[in-house]
Amino acid sequence: MSFLYCLNPEKHKLRKWREDNHRNSEQIVDVGEELINEHASKLGDDIWIIYEQVMIAALDCSRDDLAWTCLQELKRQFPGSQRVKRLAGMRLEALEKYEDANKQYDSILQDDPTNTAARKRKISILKAQGKSAEAIRELNEYLEQFVGDQEAWHELSELYINEHDYGKAAFCLEELMMTNPHNHLYCEQYAEVKYTQGGLENLELSRKYFAQALKLNNRNMRALFGLYMSASHIAASPKVNATVKKANVKYATWATNQINRAYQLAGRGTKENKCSVKAVEEMLESITMS
Amino acid sequence: MAEPEFLLDSNIRLWVVLPIVFITFLVGVIRHYVSILLQSDKKLTLEQVSDSQVLIRSRILRENGKYIPKQSFLMRKFYFNNQEDGFFKNTKRKVVPPSPMTDPSMLTDMMKGNVTNVLPMILIGGWINWTFSGFVTTKVPFPLTLRFKPMLQQGIELLSLDASWVSSASWYFLNVFGLRSMYSLILGQDNGADQSRIMQEQMSGAAMAMPADTNKAFKAEWEALELTDHQWALENIEEELMSRELDLDGMFSKELPMGIF
Repeated sequence: MSFLYCLNPEKHKLRKWREDNHRNSEQIVDVGEELINEHASKLGDDIWIIYEQVMIAALDCSRDDLAWTCLQELKRQFPGSQRVKRLAGMRLEALEKYEDANKQYDSILQDDPTNTAARKRKISILKAQGKSAEAIRELNEYLEQFVGDQEAWHELSELYINEHDYGKAAFCLEELMMTNPHNHLYCEQYAEVKYTQGGLENLELSRKYFAQALKLNNRNMRALFGLYMSASHIAASPKVNATVKKANVKYATWATNQINRAYQLAGRGTKENKCSVKAVEEMLESITMS
Repeated sequence: MAEPEFLLDSNIRLWVVLPIVFITFLVGVIRHYVSILLQSDKKLTLEQVSDSQVLIRSRILRENGKYIPKQSFLMRKFYFNNQEDGFFKNTKRKVVPPSPMTDPSMLTDMMKGNVTNVLPMILIGGWINWTFSGFVTTKVPFPLTLRFKPMLQQGIELLSLDASWVSSASWYFLNVFGLRSMYSLILGQDNGADQSRIMQEQMSGAAMAMPADTNKAFKAEWEALELTDHQWALENIEEELMSRELDLDGMFSKELPMGIF
């Protein structure tokens, strides 16, 4: 017989995962299944949101039985709910019954055209079926209506990167950078896209945005390496004049020093890391233009 | 400041001050539940949602446009403000002025708002004034001028009485506003008993969700965007960054296995 206070750490864990949007589905299934099976009566009204969380995790882990149980409980409690309908649609998607899932989402949209969740699920069906061109088109139409949906902009940028359409991916990332000016990861991703696009202007832009990412978060190693690479590329390019070249060499040297410092910090003590530090130094020297 | 300090009968405390607090509190709680019962579902059309998001995007462009390259900023500004086919220039929404006469749902909303908030306050205020009249209830801790006397000392006809001594009606109104934080504690945020919040909403809600103003909102955004210039925040970013060493503290936690390279 377990007492009520024993439940609290489990509930707290689930709530923390829910609020932080963690996708650790196996853990959620373990903890959640135990909570549901043993202690359902003691959870009170929290149980419904736990059902939803566990159901989505169960779909991730292919636990159809558990997902079905959760769905039945939710359907019984909230018969007309659109949120539950969406979960039913997700289950159909997991079973690869895409036609039925589409019908389910269409019925949600008939009732409530502003429902964003159903639209996004339809787009993910297209993505799951590999129809990326259609997915991109649908996502563009969605974004025309709902310009503020940041998750959608990020998804679109990923789709474009997969299609190697870097110009449009950069546009999406710009939207994200505007709405989240202090997020160093968007700056870094934007810089990487610009670097991939290539060309002198884009390289300069990428160098600036790598620098911005570093300014926002001094410990972003990817941005540090990116800064080094873009600066050395510009310095190595034959089209630049001497001042620009000198400036970029300065930037690249600064970046090298910082990288060395970071690796020294990491390599304190252990013998193996002395080898890593040496390897990094050699790599940097080999890339550097004289 | 009164030279003779009054000593109020402790019965006043027991039978007036505390009951008024309880009455105000309970009325607030009842108002909260009544407002939940009377709540009507507000359905937004797709167009309204879309328009509000577009306005937000334009505002973000104005505020944070300095973080994206100049070319991108100009591209977006052009999209919104272009003479021939800019979004703000061209999009005209069908304007239905939501006056209370033509829009029945707004009428009922207004009525419900009045019934749940203003009416009880007036009724109960008046009842308290009538019941608990003829004596002083409490003293406000700061000195007041004589101008406040007729307002705060309804029913007490003493010319020489300090304006700091107030009647029960003013104690009631003090409670109505003071118990707001208690409501948040007990009923959670966003509760229906929070009157000052409702009054604020009535004032700003008229400026916010009115569809009639969509065209005006677009025009306002157009003007604001025309005025905005692009001041690139990353102009001298390298110099700023490289002026000092990177702060790599805490980068490598000692618990991590060191063989991560």
